[in-house]
Amino acid sequence: MAFRRRSPRFWLGRLVRNLLAWVAIAFALFPAAFVLGTSFDPAQNLRTARIIPAQPTTANYLYLFRERQEINFPRWLLNTVYVAGITSAFGVFLCALGAYAFSRFRFRGRRTGLLTILLVQMFPQTVGMVAIYLILQTLGRQIPWLGLNTHPGLILVYLGGAIGFNTWFMKGYFDTIPRSLEESALVDGATPFQAFWRIVLPVARPILAVVFVIQFISVYSEYLLASLILKGSDKYTLAVGLQLFIGEAYNRRWGSFAAAAVMGAAMILIIFYALQSQIISGLTGGAVKE
Amino acid sequence: MFRSKSFGSVPSTLIKVSALSLLDAVAIFFAVLLAWEGSWLLVGLIAGGLFGLNILAFSRRLYPFRYLAPGLFFMILMVVLPLVYTVYISFTNYATGNILSKDQVIGLLTTRYYLPPDAPTFTFRAFGEGGTLYALYLWGPAGEYVLFPDGRLDAPSLHRLEDLDGDGRPDLVDGKPALSTPELTRFVSTLQNLAVPFGEGVLRLSTLSTFRLYAPQYRYDPATDTLVDLRTGKVYRAQGGNFVAPDGEKLDPGWVTFVGFANYLRFLRDPLYHRAFVRVFGWTVIWAILTVTLSFALGLGLAILLNDRHLRLRKFYRSLLIVPYAIPAFISILIWRGFFNVEVGLFNQVLTQYFGVRVPWLTDPFWARFACILTNVWLTYPYMMLVSLGALQSIPEEMYEAAKVDGATGWQRFSRITFPLLLISVAPLLIGSFAFTFNNFTLIWLLTRGEPVVEIGSRAGATDILLSYAYKLSFQGGRGAEYNMTAALAVVIFIIVALISGISFTRTKALEEVSRGL
Repeated sequence: MAFRRRSPRFWLGRLVRNLLAWVAIAFALFPAAFVLGTSFDPAQNLRTARIIPAQPTTANYLYLFRERQEINFPRWLLNTVYVAGITSAFGVFLCALGAYAFSRFRFRGRRTGLLTILLVQMFPQTVGMVAIYLILQTLGRQIPWLGLNTHPGLILVYLGGAIGFNTWFMKGYFDTIPRSLEESALVDGATPFQAFWRIVLPVARPILAVVFVIQFISVYSEYLLASLILKGSDKYTLAVGLQLFIGEAYNRRWGSFAAAAVMGAAMILIIFYALQSQIISGLTGGAVKE
Repeated sequence: MFRSKSFGSVPSTLIKVSALSLLDAVAIFFAVLLAWEGSWLLVGLIAGGLFGLNILAFSRRLYPFRYLAPGLFFMILMVVLPLVYTVYISFTNYATGNILSKDQVIGLLTTRYYLPPDAPTFTFRAFGEGGTLYALYLWGPAGEYVLFPDGRLDAPSLHRLEDLDGDGRPDLVDGKPALSTPELTRFVSTLQNLAVPFGEGVLRLSTLSTFRLYAPQYRYDPATDTLVDLRTGKVYRAQGGNFVAPDGEKLDPGWVTFVGFANYLRFLRDPLYHRAFVRVFGWTVIWAILTVTLSFALGLGLAILLNDRHLRLRKFYRSLLIVPYAIPAFISILIWRGFFNVEVGLFNQVLTQYFGVRVPWLTDPFWARFACILTNVWLTYPYMMLVSLGALQSIPEEMYEAAKVDGATGWQRFSRITFPLLLISVAPLLIGSFAFTFNNFTLIWLLTRGEPVVEIGSRAGATDILLSYAYKLSFQGGRGAEYNMTAALAVVIFIIVALISGISFTRTKALEEVSRGL
């Protein structure tokens, strides 16, 4: 690009804009930067922890992986990944099934069904916490592995909450897949389910991945229901465990908490930035598209 | 286009039928178990689900529902059912002290016993050998018995009693010698747990050598639905989930019963609940409006900054600015809680060092609220920024060129073109954000737990939103669970959310799609 002569005002504008951007970036990054820095500082008091440690060590990280009963960080991380993974995998499958029916079949009750799902989904699941708690309690009396303080119980709750929105979201995508793809298969004698399984699902892989990841992240971060349902330290997800771990102990456990925070956030950060554009269009979707 | 193919060959039909009958058998088994326990809600659910499943498997017309059923099942179980159940609970008195059914309560109260002053006493002697307790021999004005540690009471004639020293009391029972007092002390806890039915009452251990006959304290009269205290003669009438005496004394426990709108009315009439509700509701609305507005303002400002094509590093800036969005919120909130810590927190360190002030973050109502809003603006502005960026880019360039030709200033272009157009596309999302923030339990709970306390005796603190207050009513350790009040509050939240959604619902694309029959 040819260099064009600009007025000083133009350059001042440039400078101000970049400056503003950096101020905003400082605001955005300082908590993360501070935690990352202090996670390498052996000081356990937030008051004395320094963002650039005088004697950096990895002691805080090693501390978290020592075998312990009450504070069991590796266990919490595993639990979280397990619950989020299973919920997301099942959720994606169930939603894809439903979305396929809404997208491809014409049947009585279809419109009502779509509307109802949309309506029901507007009520946050957490508001029904007492009912959810009591339902799980009752379930657990007959089926102990599905009751309170169990991972399958929690997964059941999350699955219920995951269906509505994601079914809608996927239906929108399925609508954009040309029907001609399946029609030839159906002519060749495939059942509708085979057409769904062998043709539509593989084509829809990107949306399946997005729904999986969004679901995974949201379960990973869920706190209320997890804290209500999980009561034993060996069952906690990261959100529940970390909250109890730090409690009021900012002057005694900051270093190890910082290390836990870094590790807890790392996986999600990596996933988020790796799939940035898809996730963002998924989360902010509906606003500006079309 | 999908017709005959949904019905397979003979073997596949056979497999289907046998798998289905197996599933039916298992489900019916569980339903019977649940019915035994009296969980009719779940029984109904299983019966309905099973019925639906069997119809689905064979109905040609309902073929599409085979795809919908699995998802719908979970949604009904964990979203719809809790909704219905919550409404139900909100009209009952279901809370600590009123958890059982009426029959259970009557059963519990009529098996309570007391010791009348003239209660018959039985003296006893214990027998056994080799460190075990075999039986007790009881005697008193009401007769003589042989009592076994499992609670069995026999007539002496059924056992072989031998009186060796001629004092009229046996020294061997079925050949077992008497135990000394030190030997007997090892069995005290076994004996204390004994409650042996005897006539109307029960025999219980009184001292290390006596049992006494305890009498039932209450008698239930089904005809008048009253409970009589046999000790005092007081009559308790069944009333609103408890047995209540004329003088107002209530018996615990009570049972679950319908109370109509009583729970809702308590938020209006009971001063403690009313003040809490008004305070919490007010803050919830202010909190949601302020957070969304500030966050949107910041996000929009940054979006405009980044939307400048002359800004070389804008892609890079953007990816750094969305970091708060990419970190799991519960982690960031706990970090911010540390920063706000009055003693050791980062903010007070800096403020003390450079300005000599110490701000009572999280302990003073105003600053705690300030902290909540600041933290949530930090958490949510990236979303607003991304949404605004998308909306900005969809505004056609020609509009600006036309405005330029007409001599509009930068501010005019923003306020007359950019902002109105942007608002149209972003409004539904802002309403969605409002609804989300309105119920953002995680932020409030992890940052302040609803504290600081503003009124002694009330569970609602300065930063409690409706949802966190509802949570505290049922799940705050150390205090009873007011499930009914939580449910009533939840229904209020449902209604508010429905109103908010109703507004945005009429504007969403989704509705158009449905009405167009896409």
